[in-house]
Amino acid sequence: MFFVPVFIFSRYGEHSQTKGDPIPMGLPGEAAWMAAHPAQSPRRGCLMPSNEAAGLSVRWDVLKAEGAALLTLHGGLDAVSTPVAWEALEKELKPGGFTSLEIDASDLAYCDSAGLALLYYLYAGRMTPGATVRMSGLTSELQNLSGSFSIADLTALRGHHPPRRSFPEELGAATAAWFHDLREQVEFIGEVAVDLAGSIFRPRRMRWGEVFRVFETAGVNALPIVSLITLLVGMVISFESAQPLAQLGAQVYVANLLGLVMTRELGPVMAAIMLAGRSGSAFAAELGTMKVNEELNALHTMGLSPVQFLVVQRVMAGVLLTPVLTLYAMFAGLVGGVPVLLGLGFPLKMVLQQIQSAVHYGDLAEGLCKSMVFGLVVSSVSCLRGLQTGVGPQAVGESTTRSVVSSILLIILSDAVIASVTYTLRQ
Amino acid sequence: MMESGGSLIAVRDLTIGYGGRVVLDKLNFEVRRGEVFAILGASGSGKSTLLKHMIGLHQPLAGEVLISGENLAGAEGPARLRILRKFGVLYQSSALFGSLTALENVRLPLDEFTNLSEDAKDLIALSKLRLVGLETSATKLPSDLSGGMQKRAGIARAIVLDPCILFLDEPSAGLDPITSAGLDALIRELAKGLNMTFVMVTHELASIFAVANRVIVLDPRVRGIVAEGPPSYLREHAAQPWVRHFLKREAA
Repeated sequence: MFFVPVFIFSRYGEHSQTKGDPIPMGLPGEAAWMAAHPAQSPRRGCLMPSNEAAGLSVRWDVLKAEGAALLTLHGGLDAVSTPVAWEALEKELKPGGFTSLEIDASDLAYCDSAGLALLYYLYAGRMTPGATVRMSGLTSELQNLSGSFSIADLTALRGHHPPRRSFPEELGAATAAWFHDLREQVEFIGEVAVDLAGSIFRPRRMRWGEVFRVFETAGVNALPIVSLITLLVGMVISFESAQPLAQLGAQVYVANLLGLVMTRELGPVMAAIMLAGRSGSAFAAELGTMKVNEELNALHTMGLSPVQFLVVQRVMAGVLLTPVLTLYAMFAGLVGGVPVLLGLGFPLKMVLQQIQSAVHYGDLAEGLCKSMVFGLVVSSVSCLRGLQTGVGPQAVGESTTRSVVSSILLIILSDAVIASVTYTLRQ
Repeated sequence: MMESGGSLIAVRDLTIGYGGRVVLDKLNFEVRRGEVFAILGASGSGKSTLLKHMIGLHQPLAGEVLISGENLAGAEGPARLRILRKFGVLYQSSALFGSLTALENVRLPLDEFTNLSEDAKDLIALSKLRLVGLETSATKLPSDLSGGMQKRAGIARAIVLDPCILFLDEPSAGLDPITSAGLDALIRELAKGLNMTFVMVTHELASIFAVANRVIVLDPRVRGIVAEGPPSYLREHAAQPWVRHFLKREAA
């Protein structure tokens, strides 16, 4: 049977037993109550067949007289029957305006935590505000267990409001955090670029095995998805541009457009976005998990820099890989667009000539240089997000999401800067 | 309310393993109602694996685990849920949900399995937190709780639906000796006060001698139980010298 004293632990785990405040017993019983209150209203309760049919184990009676009420409970109060009794008793007792409530639990055969919560709630006067409540018939075990319930705890919980900042404070803090984060990203990319340059001059320091492993997983394995996406993009561009150019009688320039867009813009951008989504997120998750497993702390205490040991290899792989992926994306985009042009009635030779006349080596170089910047940005920021992983089970997931979002944002930002610079140089 | 005496858990010819490799072969033992039962053994002896089979996380290769006479491994749907409601589990890492406060963690089973009102659920959850001495930390997130507090919150969550059995996987792991002793005291009081049955896997011999009524010792070399009995008895009288040495060395 139940006997649970209340424990109080100090923050150091020291433990002492103290009694809580169990519900005191003291009620003469139904007969005495009836004798004391001769003018009673008819017996009310849930001796209802519907409850018995539903398999509910609890029954109760409420006797009322001159602002007083006697509640008698029978059967069992468990997690199934308590909610029904709770709701019904609240409806019965709350509007009654009682000045005293007496509860007879001597017929209660079974009571679990849910039932005891109801008894305590009744005893605390939450269903009969202002009334004097007395209870009788509770077994000593349940009485002791009732000491673990506390209306003061419930009131404290209801009164607890986590501190909230005003909108301007939130906005200010978010803006400051955004600039701080941007600064961190730029600093980190700079730090990685310096380490990368150092590794080029001292190639023996670089763990080339790790570079090739990343190169393979992030590059070779990415070819199918790069092929599919850029092939379709090339096809869509050709379709979408064919109609407006036909209205100008310049449909043949679809080939020129396709060539320029794929080499200068979409080839590098699409390859970089796929690197961010497929490999950048993997970098962040990998480093994030290493941080959660304290592997990064192990590196620190061994005197090794996580940037040197883990990041530089990934960034080197990213920088070397992105131009290759970009070149492949450019080719796949053209392959996707050419069949559309052939379908429009242009011979293959003519299409290739148009592309050749429109796309110069400079455009190709621009696209490839751009892609190296994207590779640097995506790999660095993804690794940074992994290293910034916090605590808790959602931390790695958050880092992964942040790596993809930041990478795409920085791809577009750096693309805009590069486009402005190259436009100015071409003038 | 629960009766006293009798076997509550019966493990019959249980063979467990992974990928065709047998870790423990044809285990037979019983856990009696109201006792604190400990599973002991060296690292890699299959203690945690056995516990995971007892709570139905893994399917055994053969044999059965009967909880109040019902086989968890063979049960499905509502029958399985009914058996699962008979026990709570404290995981080694406490397994509190990081995005929920201590109170919300404890309330979660009440939210999912009962139709109680908000006040009722909060009252019950707070009473369980008070039982483990955490009523003032109800609104804190697990990340704001110490390791010992997380364990106690885990116990509060495990007992919120009034189970008759509590499984504990390395309850003292990562705790300092004082906090660990506090947890032992809590286990003793819950076992005595709620007449709960405890099954615990632990390396902490101090905890075993403090709380356990009976232990089994697993040996990976024989892939089974090599000793069974009260820990203080086994320390002096176990048939295998290494079991006596194991229990004496750490207990000293």
